[in-house]
Amino acid sequence: MKNRPASLFLAMLLTASAALLSGCKHDADSQPPTGSVAFELKNMVGQQALALDGTAYTTADGETFTVSTFEYYVSNIKLTKSDGTTYAAPNEYHLINTAKPGSSNFTVSNVPAGDYTGVSFVVGVDSTATKGDPLALPGDLNPANNMYWAWNTGHIFLKLEGTVTSTSPNKAFTCHIGGYRQPLSAIVTATPSLNGATLPVRAGQSPKLAVAADVLKIFDGPTKFTVSGLPTTMMPSAASVQVATNYAAGMFSVTQVQPNSK
Amino acid sequence: MAQRTTFASWLGILLSAAVLGVASCSSGGGGGETPTPSGPTAYALTVPAGFPTPVIPADNPLTNEGVALGRRLFYEKSLSSTGTMSCGSCHQQSKAFTDGRALAVGVDGVANPRGTMSLVNVLWSTQLTWDGAFTTLETQALKPIENPIELHQPLTVGVARLQASSTYPALFQAAFGTQTITNELVLKALAQFERTLISGSSRYDTYMATRTGFSADELAGLQLYTTHIAPGSIRGAECFHCHSQPLMSSNYEGKFFNNGLDLTFTDPGRGGLTKLAVDQGKFIAPTLRNIALTAPYMHDGRFKTLEEVLDHYSDHVQMASPNLDNNLILGINDPPFGTHMDLTATEKRQVIAFLQTLTDTNFVTDKRFSDPF
Repeated sequence: MKNRPASLFLAMLLTASAALLSGCKHDADSQPPTGSVAFELKNMVGQQALALDGTAYTTADGETFTVSTFEYYVSNIKLTKSDGTTYAAPNEYHLINTAKPGSSNFTVSNVPAGDYTGVSFVVGVDSTATKGDPLALPGDLNPANNMYWAWNTGHIFLKLEGTVTSTSPNKAFTCHIGGYRQPLSAIVTATPSLNGATLPVRAGQSPKLAVAADVLKIFDGPTKFTVSGLPTTMMPSAASVQVATNYAAGMFSVTQVQPNSK
Repeated sequence: MAQRTTFASWLGILLSAAVLGVASCSSGGGGGETPTPSGPTAYALTVPAGFPTPVIPADNPLTNEGVALGRRLFYEKSLSSTGTMSCGSCHQQSKAFTDGRALAVGVDGVANPRGTMSLVNVLWSTQLTWDGAFTTLETQALKPIENPIELHQPLTVGVARLQASSTYPALFQAAFGTQTITNELVLKALAQFERTLISGSSRYDTYMATRTGFSADELAGLQLYTTHIAPGSIRGAECFHCHSQPLMSSNYEGKFFNNGLDLTFTDPGRGGLTKLAVDQGKFIAPTLRNIALTAPYMHDGRFKTLEEVLDHYSDHVQMASPNLDNNLILGINDPPFGTHMDLTATEKRQVIAFLQTLTDTNFVTDKRFSDPF
């Protein structure tokens, strides 16, 4: 009887240490295994890699233009299995900035193991995140990245700036797309085809998805624009929605699926 | 007694098992090392609300001892060939770490081609100096020390002077665990101090946090600052594109702009480094925090007052300047006959009223940043 408190204590310790020990095995055994998917975006103009060094590019209409800025957000990444089930990756907000090569690569972690046959992502930022307190926005969402409008309009989802060089005089163009309120919401989702390939996500295996982003498709989609005729959009507008619809439809294409990038 | 022994040993086994369990969970290790009792202590950096998370190099973490040493070195005149100047001679706290001159002047009285830059919030700068010649504070600090028209002394000479002093070996011991002073450690300490020069308590910051405290003019100025012109319908001043919030600079984004000062460039700026035609005449957009304290303005100090700066952006931008920033090309407030931004006298006054709210008196009087000698 005298020993009871001691054995009780002992039992508690046993339980505690058992819990601590099993905490380690938990991930490996009882939870479904997860892997990651590496994304590599390549900003292109047609078949050429986009450069910000003054290189002139030619559109199908014969206009020539240079690009000084090309940035956009990729967020709300979803991966779909062949049975139609979908994994939505939380808290993925990536600012792809052509001027910062490292920004074109990112990895989505904690993806449940499986064979994925589809991918989609928002080109821009969802309304919940963009309505957040700008002073508390972390990382790529922070207003210091200069992808944010003041006064209640939220993030700039995509920014293309440059100069049309086939006009005389040359004509600067500035295309900033954003806006989260209907009917002028420019939040669009791109669903580039994997072209029949699968992303085999396994524990310890990181398939890689190479995605090309073609600047020309901003002008050339359901609505045709010339670069010189591209409306200077600096706030939510009907033209912004048209441009966003264009780039959602055709800007992104999967160029390679690598089963394991590690 | 027997019972007690058993209990105690059980306890020991269980505790070690639990510890093992915990230890094996932690990935990447780092355990096992006992901290040196006399090692440097971590510096508590206070990041203002809304500022980006700063990136501090893993090989130069901020420590109280390192920052204190860096502060001393920042004001240490034996790092100059004449023993008359230090970093703090041109980077004066009362002027938000500038010198009030158009062009910086070194120990031999020779003027530099450009003006002294403010060190305000330099912690967030991914591109340093007017043209982005450096990307880390550790590499940047060597240039003004050794440059013949700045402090004009090889750092190794300065290091030898420090090594021979009665005070510095012990301070390096405290900061870096060695009494052997090297160029690298001097630069690391200077960078640590510079990273603490955070200004985020201006009236603008109070306004952003509370949305109160601004006069009508200041508020109108903030709106002009942050508004892109829709020619014919929305008037703006376009400032925020380059001087981006909350740091009010382009240093964080690391971007360079031609703001239309000249038609041809005596100083090619960024283009002098990259040799690209598209970079000719481009400079970093420096922070506007404490801008009322950092006159004169522009890389060559050509404008003496904020009024002259506003006149430039409003009325005198060289619209045919190569690589002129798009926002200045397109930002015409009075189409179809206007040819420039064309701010009214009232609008200019309002923007300046707003810019004055960026003065941070706490920052320029903070004892932690002052000359310790």
